[in-house]
Amino acid sequence: MDAYDKGSGARRGQDGPAGPDGPDGAVDSTETGGSAGIAEAIGSAEVTGSAEVTGSAGSSVAAEGPAQASGADGADGADGADGADGADGADGAAEGAVATAPEEAGPAVEGAAAQPPAPRTGVAALSPRYQVGAVVALAVVAVAVCAHIGLVFLHVAPSNTLTKQHGSVVDEWVFPEFEQNWKLFAPNPLQQNVSVQVRAEVSTAGGEIRTTGWYDLSAEDGRAIDGNPLPSHTQQNELRRAWDFFVASHDSEDRPVGLRGALSETYLRRIALLRLDRHDAAGPGGVVERVQYRSRTTNVKPPPWSGEKVSDRPTLRELPWWSVAAETGGADAGRAGREGGAA
Amino acid sequence: MNAAVLSVSRGIARVTGAALGPYQTAVIRIGFSATWLLFLLRELPHRDELYGPDGPWSHELAEQLTADNGAFTALMWSDGRAWFEIVYALAVLSSVLLLLGWRTRTMSVLFMVGVLSLQNRSVFMGDGGDNVIHLMSIYLVLTRCSQVWSLDARRARRAAEARARGERVTDRVGPVLWCAGGFLLLTVVLAGGLDGDWFVPALLWAVWVALGLWWVVERGAEGGQPRILLDVVTNIVHNGALVVIMAEACLIYATAGWYKIQGSRWQDGTAVYYPLQLDYFSPWPALSDLLAASGTMVMLITYGTVAVQVAFPFTLFNRRVKNVLLAVMMTEHAVIAVTLGLPFFSLAMIAADAVFLPTSFLRRLGGWAARVRGRLSGRGPAAAPAGAPAGSGAGRPATVPGPRGEEDGGPAGAGAADGKGPEHTHVGFRA
Repeated sequence: MDAYDKGSGARRGQDGPAGPDGPDGAVDSTETGGSAGIAEAIGSAEVTGSAEVTGSAGSSVAAEGPAQASGADGADGADGADGADGADGADGAAEGAVATAPEEAGPAVEGAAAQPPAPRTGVAALSPRYQVGAVVALAVVAVAVCAHIGLVFLHVAPSNTLTKQHGSVVDEWVFPEFEQNWKLFAPNPLQQNVSVQVRAEVSTAGGEIRTTGWYDLSAEDGRAIDGNPLPSHTQQNELRRAWDFFVASHDSEDRPVGLRGALSETYLRRIALLRLDRHDAAGPGGVVERVQYRSRTTNVKPPPWSGEKVSDRPTLRELPWWSVAAETGGADAGRAGREGGAA
Repeated sequence: MNAAVLSVSRGIARVTGAALGPYQTAVIRIGFSATWLLFLLRELPHRDELYGPDGPWSHELAEQLTADNGAFTALMWSDGRAWFEIVYALAVLSSVLLLLGWRTRTMSVLFMVGVLSLQNRSVFMGDGGDNVIHLMSIYLVLTRCSQVWSLDARRARRAAEARARGERVTDRVGPVLWCAGGFLLLTVVLAGGLDGDWFVPALLWAVWVALGLWWVVERGAEGGQPRILLDVVTNIVHNGALVVIMAEACLIYATAGWYKIQGSRWQDGTAVYYPLQLDYFSPWPALSDLLAASGTMVMLITYGTVAVQVAFPFTLFNRRVKNVLLAVMMTEHAVIAVTLGLPFFSLAMIAADAVFLPTSFLRRLGGWAARVRGRLSGRGPAAAPAGAPAGSGAGRPATVPGPRGEEDGGPAGAGAADGKGPEHTHVGFRA
């Protein structure tokens, strides 16, 4: 803002040819809160200049600084006090600045004026022709900001009159990069532990078909998270969200809905293979032929002080057996290809 | 009437004259890049499983989904291992360089490309923290977030000093980066790599063109009109993006809060108990049990959480109340990091909160960090240039409070230095 603009000019002055010690006592004495107040006074005076659009782009700040400060009208004086107000927590010296801001502005600006002027910034420094460009940019950005915030608001808001009528406009803008969901543990936190388990049908090296026991993948994740200050997304999100994705993209009969339903099944099959492989479930020479998922949902016990009762009987959901020939075949082909390449 | 006109013109002068909140934008730049960097380093052993071509969410699955939704991800350009490793390495590198504020504008673009590439490649691996970083990485591109606490700011200051001594300062890295960026962008476009949604490609081109314009006007006379106009437009875009970032943070809290109010568990005061009992969010069961032991305590935290989240956006009108709530929310997120095992989510949220920190506090923080750094490197405090807060180079105390009492996103910088590739420093200080 202008306050610091000017402040910076003064500071730059200190760094200038006169040397780092500062040109004179006036600047030194306004080192702390006081200088902020003064700077503000000058700043607001300068803004008046810009409001008048004097087109004084080329003229030096040094020349017009004092002139504007002395020409400050009633409103400016108030502004100056305003600025000093903001700073007055800093120290007692600022109090003086409040009372005498316009007067003190003079010497402070002179201190800066002794140095080469800092170039002006903002619309005030532009000729009228370029000011049009700045105003257009300001209008465009203002509209874009309002539109973006409005559309994102409608995206996170519940379904309402506007989204029912213009939902497609909102989606068009928000998806894919501004999608967001902040219903964090809301409206209600999850009150169930969902344990996702998997087992496999394996054709062994001897040519028999063997069914493995159930592997509780969620329990494995839980153990990996226990005592872990930095749980990995692979432990905390991968399976959990894959299962949510499956549930959301399937109907109650476990039939996939749309592209996402199909994708989620492939995803779960690949997670199963990855996890089973870690346990070496197929055994030496064995191949996983089919996998089956089931979920076991248990209610979290209500807090002891609530006196509430919920069923502690888990709910089971068992999915059909899925062939994983496509996945393992692909993997085998890939492996064969790599080996071939190596040979 | 006159007063209204005056205040409008003052407002215009303010949003065009400077990139506001230099400390706030710098601290979120550092916050988000550090969060993403730490996340990438933590997941280094798991990177294949999360984003690699042979991960469970395979390249083929990702291809089908991104073809459907048009999301941007460079990882779809090839299913090779080498490409994946390159992208991951670039994501790490751009996070480091954005953190340090080296060629910040360019690095913020690379950072965004890294974030979107990895996250959009495997959308079902992420959580709320990833979502925050995803959005903020886009918004950051539009800000001048290297005005302070950055290598760019130091470079700008040194260039100004050199110019004051009458030396010529030429920047070679900027044009090289710009040409390389343009070449890459064109190659990708011709190869059909940006055929999805239009937004990200448009943003990439816009930044590239803007950086080119900056380089052109930099070569013109100091104080030339086109240069000032570009500065003004850059300030306007920065200030607009800053508003969006703040609004986004408010939307996050408002949504989280208002939806909670509608939940029976948040109403009966037991909500906080439940997440602590979930296997996926209880890394320290003993701690969870301890926190859940007192019904009154759980009830107070439950109600307090909702109250704070709902109230926060409104407290922005009162500086003191806002700061209190900010402290409460940052503390709560720090607690969540440990108790629910969500360190990166919490870090991202704390980084987002930081955009509301008062300038005076941030400057004190900067001064403190500079002193620590000076002490660590065994040099005097005078030799703490890059990270030093405003004014240390100009012999001005670092504890000067923000100039206005009412608002933090305050004033300060005159847009002295920003992340533009080509050099430009018209005001000889940064901060």
